Amino acid sequence: MAPLAEIVGLTKTYAGGSVRALDSLTVSVEPGLIGLVGANGAGKSTLFRILLGLSQPDAGSVRVAGIDVGDDPIGVRSRLGFMPEHDCLPTDQSAADVVSMLGELAGLPPHDARQRASDILDLVGLDEARFRPIEGFSTGMRQRTKLAQALVADPHLVLLDEPTAGLDPAGRHEMLELVRRLGRFGISVLMATHLLDDVQSTCDQVVMIDGGRLVGAGRTDDLLESSGVLRVDVGGRGRRLVEVLGHTLGIDAAVLADGSVELPVADDSTLDAVVAAVADAGLPLHALSSRRATLDGLFLGEGPR
Amino acid sequence: MTAVPPSRTTGGAASAGAVYDRGYRPYDGTLGGRPAARRALYKASIRRAVGLRRSWRQKFFPWLLLAVASVPAIVWVGVAYITRNTPASAIEIITYREYLGVSTALLVFVGLAAPDVLCPDRRNRTLPLLFSRPLTGTDYVVAKVGAIASVVFLFSFLPQVVLYVGQMLVSDSARTYLSDNLDVLWQVPVGTAAFSLYFSSLACAISSLTTRRLIAAASLLILLLASSVFAAGLSESTGAPARSDGFEVEIDPETFGGDPNDGPVGGRIGSDGQVTSTDFYVVAEPSSAWGAANLLAVPLHVRDLIFLGEIREPYLAGVDGGGALALGVYSVVLFGSLGVLVWRYRWLES
Repeated sequence: MAPLAEIVGLTKTYAGGSVRALDSLTVSVEPGLIGLVGANGAGKSTLFRILLGLSQPDAGSVRVAGIDVGDDPIGVRSRLGFMPEHDCLPTDQSAADVVSMLGELAGLPPHDARQRASDILDLVGLDEARFRPIEGFSTGMRQRTKLAQALVADPHLVLLDEPTAGLDPAGRHEMLELVRRLGRFGISVLMATHLLDDVQSTCDQVVMIDGGRLVGAGRTDDLLESSGVLRVDVGGRGRRLVEVLGHTLGIDAAVLADGSVELPVADDSTLDAVVAAVADAGLPLHALSSRRATLDGLFLGEGPR
Repeated sequence: MTAVPPSRTTGGAASAGAVYDRGYRPYDGTLGGRPAARRALYKASIRRAVGLRRSWRQKFFPWLLLAVASVPAIVWVGVAYITRNTPASAIEIITYREYLGVSTALLVFVGLAAPDVLCPDRRNRTLPLLFSRPLTGTDYVVAKVGAIASVVFLFSFLPQVVLYVGQMLVSDSARTYLSDNLDVLWQVPVGTAAFSLYFSSLACAISSLTTRRLIAAASLLILLLASSVFAAGLSESTGAPARSDGFEVEIDPETFGGDPNDGPVGGRIGSDGQVTSTDFYVVAEPSSAWGAANLLAVPLHVRDLIFLGEIREPYLAGVDGGGALALGVYSVVLFGSLGVLVWRYRWLES
């Protein structure tokens, strides 16, 4: 499959070269839902500005949706939608007017802009409120309006900068559900966030950056492959299980704080042997699961294995 | 690598039948790109300036001003109609040149509309949103200044059209009126354009420097009034009532209690500033090169150059090289303002 975005050797410095916002970043992503993870100041916003053709890199090249951003920095914006992190909406106009105006600015003919603005506002759940001035909107409604304006011109890729910032847990859940829906419609999304949970629950690809450098990239599933650690819950009798396993199978297991037991497994035959050992010892098998790596773990430098 | 993201053209999972999700339709048409973006911003700014799609309170003021700017033209056409068969009809109470001065009332509109169209974009941080569209900083400036200038042009040009068409219809022969007033056909549009562009650029430049509408409006007003007082003061202290050249004046005799049937009378003011050849005298305002510093009068000076080829507006009338000076100040203000604007909205950093 043709990559959605190809970033090669991207370097951007500020303040006369003393601040390196991006440092030889090379990464390629495919269409889909992509999480761009990094702490504040990791270079996410700089990368967005370069993708939008609003900032010129010191070195390297970027191709998005088939366009070399260096060659056509204005044209690339026709194919991208952008949702900034901060408040950015004109407050004294209605959501319908704002979104349709921004649709026209993206190049839609006026009639299509009005029609699509109304459709998209409906899609993000603002069907009733769209004729009210944005002044009276809650944070959640503003975030939805911001998302709607990014989608109105049917972009090839939508850039979302911290879309869940400032939302309460319910609002955050709804926003992520909306992003997942976009994925089902076949819209590609690049979502910058510092919340790994959001990416883990929403995105099928991950790009992790820190200090302007690539930390890791790939499909979320691949990165979160089984860590080779089995977790067994025998209802508070973990110590007994450790004894049994050490005695019969020669496996070095450990009891966790919650009373469950963790042990390394090589393959499925070990799994069967463990289940058999639990049954022989007359222990109740409450739960048996393989511990998965978390993005947090990956980000902090613990490998999947 | 089992999960293949749905392709855009098939409409995603919906077409596969697994999940039916209503609501999103891809756009199949073409996108207009940069010209469309510029046009859209221009249109949106005009709408905002004249209060379309806004509450009646925001509509009220622009339309009141249009009325104020048009009323004299309508009244004058009415007067001309009523007096059409009397000798008074020979007197032109208001000329097209003077009517452009009436349009200076639209400065109030510019002072309010320009900040309203520019300041909220910065205050609400809408600029990143606008510049994520196929639009450059220069496009933004062109669209915004163009919008304000277009509205001002229209509001000052329409009354002139009313005046012209009205006078033409009221006159004895429309054809004669037309052929007698051919010059007006280019002088009025050019003068109006110069006037609109000047105040729009200046007002936009000042508005680009602040996020507060009130501060922008007040700054514009203070700048114009201060420069006008400054220029008048310096002209009165350094200038002489003399005109450097022989200077024709034409005056309605009724002003001096004369018989209106005499028609306009004239006089000539010599290079010594003394009236040389008539039986009345004109008190000329003192003029000096400082008169060009009156930023409020600059478009009126340029207007005089367009209509008369020389400046008759107070404080710069008859000053040696006054025309060049006025054009110089006009250019400096216009291009300076546009420069400030382009600099303030330089979105693509190098």
